[in-house]
Amino acid sequence: MKLAAYYWERIKRQRPAMFGLGFIIFLIILATLGTYFTKSPTKVNFDEKNLPPPGYTVEHSMYSAQNESFITTLQEGTWEHPLGTDSMGRDMLAQLVSGARVSLLVGLLATGIAIIIGAVIGVTSAYFGGAMDDILMRTTDVMMTFPFLLLLILIVYLFGASLTLIILAIGLTGWTGTARLVRSETLSLRTREFIMASKALGAGDLRIIFRHLLPNTLSSIIVLATLSIPGAILAEAVLSFIGLGDPTVASWGNILNAGQGSLETAWWVAVEPGVMLFLTVLSFNFLGDGLREAFDPKGE
Amino acid sequence: MRSYIAKRLLHTALISWGVMTTAFILMRIGPNSPADKYLAGLGAGHNVTQVVAAIESRYGVDKPLYEQYFSYITSLLQGDWGWSFGTSMPVMELIKTHWIYSFQLILLSTIFAVVLGIALGIFAAVRKNTAADHAVAFFSFAGISIPNFWLGIMLILIFSVKLGWFKTYYDTSLPMFSLENLHALVLPVFTLGTGMVAGYSRYVRSAMLDNLGKDFVRTARAKGLPESIVIRKHVFRNAMLPVITIIMLDMGSIVFGGAYITEVIFGIPGLGWMSLKAVFADDYAVVLAVTLIGAIITLLFNLLADIAYMYLDPRIRYE
Repeated sequence: MKLAAYYWERIKRQRPAMFGLGFIIFLIILATLGTYFTKSPTKVNFDEKNLPPPGYTVEHSMYSAQNESFITTLQEGTWEHPLGTDSMGRDMLAQLVSGARVSLLVGLLATGIAIIIGAVIGVTSAYFGGAMDDILMRTTDVMMTFPFLLLLILIVYLFGASLTLIILAIGLTGWTGTARLVRSETLSLRTREFIMASKALGAGDLRIIFRHLLPNTLSSIIVLATLSIPGAILAEAVLSFIGLGDPTVASWGNILNAGQGSLETAWWVAVEPGVMLFLTVLSFNFLGDGLREAFDPKGE
Repeated sequence: MRSYIAKRLLHTALISWGVMTTAFILMRIGPNSPADKYLAGLGAGHNVTQVVAAIESRYGVDKPLYEQYFSYITSLLQGDWGWSFGTSMPVMELIKTHWIYSFQLILLSTIFAVVLGIALGIFAAVRKNTAADHAVAFFSFAGISIPNFWLGIMLILIFSVKLGWFKTYYDTSLPMFSLENLHALVLPVFTLGTGMVAGYSRYVRSAMLDNLGKDFVRTARAKGLPESIVIRKHVFRNAMLPVITIIMLDMGSIVFGGAYITEVIFGIPGLGWMSLKAVFADDYAVVLAVTLIGAIITLLFNLLADIAYMYLDPRIRYE
């Protein structure tokens, strides 16, 4: 616990990292409690379509059957929809909250899967060496060389666009960095005295791996995990953006996809989810960088 | 040196084979048949079972999986990349007509990113810990974090929709380097290049700072060389070594990374745009070819990066 307090002291001194942490906490609160305070993200209301955020006014032209001509009306944003509505009258704030939930879920779960697979492969590869190392590392090479985005698109296209599958696909394809990192750290740890000592005391392979090797690579894994979360979030967003997202949930990528088509009538639909995405990625990058500085023993 | 390259080429072939096999299996265990899309476009009054059988035998998907796999490898080794049933063209023809647009986009973006990234990196390094340095650092963090597909949409919103300065339609009937098409490429190049500029400026800055602290720089200064020559000849040249490697690695992975999505947003008919269309059309031969080519490009650029490093830095020798 003393160690955690020590690292916390060191992170606290870095303003970008604290900004990142603050925004991530805000996002978690938004994703968990936000739905209790917002409208339904899926409630369609064509009478209120393309409403701008309050303070903005947009012109809407509509075909009027009575006058047989286009009539232009001015529409002003209301506080009823603080971030406006989309082309089907759905509340943007509610959709962004739902998107925050999706993005965090994808970011944390997919990264978790990737880290676990990567750590197991990395540690096994380095600890046992020989043919095991060769096979696992060549597999890692193949995985790393695969055009990542193309592979994801292919998997999701072929096996159906559901959030579960998207999370699994990102996790199952994203472990190569962790595997390499854990392998190289384990290789340098493997010959250290404390490992030899526990071997001499008769510790089994599993005990050495889980009690000695993995805990000692933990700080690098935490940094890498933090810096991998934005990648997973962006991967889901890109998939949704090109139309391969889970159609049953409002994710930032889905909203962006819709917003791209209505740039001329409703710019906010494309702007708002992107701002959230940008701030989220920025926050995790700031935090990851801060953690790396804090864990770096040379950085005193 | 020669045996090192031979070994690496063998490795490249092995990994490409692994990628191809994985992609092949993935596509064949998928639930879609090439006949589906064809049937969807077919009117009534046909004997469906007969049509399906004809198509499946035309593309060989009625045979057992291992037979399909071996016949694919055999024809691949003979230079036949298969037939695209989405466009009714040999796959190689299709790739030949599209790769050049990806190449143009990536070339222009890389030039933009290298020039600006190096300039910003040097600027930040020689003004270490000043406001200017912090501004560059902030820009690079923002540039790395901004999702490039969103950046593309925002550029379209501001510069095409609101201001009307740039059209975003790439016209393939005009020459590639015509003013119209170069004009249409301004926003895509900016979209693809921003993240690269941000990355390169950080690398250049830290590489410059590493070298600024070296003994040979102190010696150069001590013998009275003007600061501009110290920076240019002693610091910059050494700092460029790792940067060149990173640029090369980037070029290898960008074709189906950043460029892919940029092409889709701006409708540039390059390999990324083409392969997404192929995925949605169940055009397996094209998807398989593109995956394999993507892997080979990545591997070759990795190799090139290592060779360039070795060539530029005589201290480095690979076994």
